Amino acid sequence: MKKLLSLLVAIAMLLSLMAAATAQSPVVLTMGSWENTAAAVIQEMLDAYKEVSGIEIRFEPTQADQYNAALRLQLDNGTGPDLFYSRSYATGQELHDAGFNMNCSEIPGVLENFAPSSLEPWQADDGIVFAVPVAAVSHVVYYNSAYFEEKGLSTPETFEEFLALCEEIKAFGDMYPLANGIASEWDILECVYLGMLPNYVGGPEERALYEAGSAKMNDDKFLKSLEDFAALTKYFPDGFESVQYGDGPALMATGQAAMFIDGSWSSGTFARMYDFSDIGAFAIPAPEGFTPGMAFHPDYAIAGNSATKYPQEVKDFLAWIASPEGAQNAANHMPQGFFPMINAPITMDDELSNGILGLNEGRTLDARFIWPRMMDLYSAMRSNLDAIAKGEMTAQQAADDFAKLQADLLSK
Amino acid sequence: MRRYGAGSVHPGGFYWQWYLIPALLLYSIFMAYPMIDSVRLSLFAGTTGTRAFVGFDNYSRLFTDPLISKRFLNAFGNTWVFFAFHMLLQNVLGMMFAVVLTNRTMRGRTIYQTIVFVPCTIAVLVTGYLFKLILNPVWTGRILRDAGLAFLAKPWLGMESSALNIVSLVSVWQWVGIPTMMFIAGLQGISDDLIEAATIDGADSWKTFWKIKLPLIMPVVGMIAIMTFVSNFNAFDIVYAMETPNGAPNYATDIIGTMFYRYGVAGEHPTGIPQPGVGAAISTVIFIMLLIGVIPTLSRTRRKED
Repeated sequence: MKKLLSLLVAIAMLLSLMAAATAQSPVVLTMGSWENTAAAVIQEMLDAYKEVSGIEIRFEPTQADQYNAALRLQLDNGTGPDLFYSRSYATGQELHDAGFNMNCSEIPGVLENFAPSSLEPWQADDGIVFAVPVAAVSHVVYYNSAYFEEKGLSTPETFEEFLALCEEIKAFGDMYPLANGIASEWDILECVYLGMLPNYVGGPEERALYEAGSAKMNDDKFLKSLEDFAALTKYFPDGFESVQYGDGPALMATGQAAMFIDGSWSSGTFARMYDFSDIGAFAIPAPEGFTPGMAFHPDYAIAGNSATKYPQEVKDFLAWIASPEGAQNAANHMPQGFFPMINAPITMDDELSNGILGLNEGRTLDARFIWPRMMDLYSAMRSNLDAIAKGEMTAQQAADDFAKLQADLLSK
Repeated sequence: MRRYGAGSVHPGGFYWQWYLIPALLLYSIFMAYPMIDSVRLSLFAGTTGTRAFVGFDNYSRLFTDPLISKRFLNAFGNTWVFFAFHMLLQNVLGMMFAVVLTNRTMRGRTIYQTIVFVPCTIAVLVTGYLFKLILNPVWTGRILRDAGLAFLAKPWLGMESSALNIVSLVSVWQWVGIPTMMFIAGLQGISDDLIEAATIDGADSWKTFWKIKLPLIMPVVGMIAIMTFVSNFNAFDIVYAMETPNGAPNYATDIIGTMFYRYGVAGEHPTGIPQPGVGAAISTVIFIMLLIGVIPTLSRTRRKED
């Protein structure tokens, strides 16, 4: 009996000890994100932070296409994550306007370590920075370099050479020149057309002219961009109307297409599909006489929840992400093809991603043309591009429609 | 003493109420409350905590806002086409299969029955994905051309003229087993005496079907009609699986379900800012339409049973 009693006492003591231990356990923060395919890699980055700070952060991603709605609902009900991925421009700012974001302007390093143009996508009209910029993406043409070598093809320097290259591949008859299609209703606009556009329009200063209405979206530059786009669609696969975004890499991998216009974020997919040496990337070339540009798009930032129970811990993490050491760590654990936005020399060990980042050199960089101010044009522009690809609309008609949409938007 | 009820000495006549309570509770919490709350939501605007009461503004936007009303009318029309395919093709095919499969002289009935029913057991996302590949000339074009069927190698799901029809046909293919099974059950319930008597009286199988079998399974037909109506006006998954929630190409396959998802839940790509009020208004309108469609049909089949 005594034995039993002492055993019970021991168990009770052990239990109370455990309870005390959990009560004093270090703070655990949560991080919401849409990046559910690379969850393991990002958790590694957060684990690395734990080693530095002792603070544990749990990565809790949701389905990418439901992230905005799910996050909004959580924040609305007071169950939001302590840290969350913030989309650039209007979508991210909407949450800030609703009061869910911590003010990041006060976080050490934010104003010093980022270029104003990098902060702008997460900056409200009153100048408050509402998230710490993390990564940008760019748009490039991937190509099967083994095939290029076999056929003696070289990567193009100008858009005219690009078209000639497509024509040459088409003449060989064994592969589609390009694997792009229009069925997913986003990549044709975001990757292909808005990827081409900086070559024609220029950088942020020129974009501002269109946003202010002093330049019209049916001027010579836009018309030329649409004519070139129309020429390019001739080299899409037969039945491109039903080719979805995911079919592109598959067509490349099965040796049915030689090139695919896509985002840098796919470099990991391509590197896994091919031996690295068989895949290359080149910038979407500018036509002769135009200044080469590149869509280098601010993709995501990390925001702090203004209603978090642990404001100091959240601020510490954001300050770390805004520091060169933190950004380097993030870069080490970022999915391939996402480029650090911090103003510091960050090295990445992935060769293909580094190569893609290197394409920025000597080019005018800008976000996707419509993202900052003209997002309302998205679906109308996309549907015009579809019509051009299907041959239902001429470049001139599409340009005139763009100008009309632009005028409607500005008169609002 | 014992006069009514399950061994009760206190007949009372109301003891059965207690049995209703669990179902009533579940129904109120998980069905009635959300439904009433979504009607309430349809009177508010805004996406977050600061929702503002706007009365019937969401409804009037549904019918007058140039963009939303255009999408809504388009989705409404597409839903009717989608429904018509199921009502006319799926249910008629189901009836034909059922008549053939209840023919006692036929061999291998169970095999055919299984073949007809198996698609119902496949997840819609899987069906959608498979047909997306099958109907894509990039993947199957070579096989078709080699088989001399080059005219079939078209981007069926990418052409506005064919996309909705094809999606509807895939859905019909998948679900034809359900009416088939129910009609089979109905037809098997018909007494052999009736059929025999009719045969002796000189009725051929055509006449037997129209004059005896069909009238006797009319209640099943009514029920199938209601089920088809309700499930197709609530349809969403097959379009989501085959054509993205946008109802690609260019909204040609956008039905009320996908439109509701875009406006109410996910928001339009790329901003992804939903308008729950508009979404709730769409779902309330569907609810009212379903009521208008279902109540008369239901009360008519009810009267027949009495």
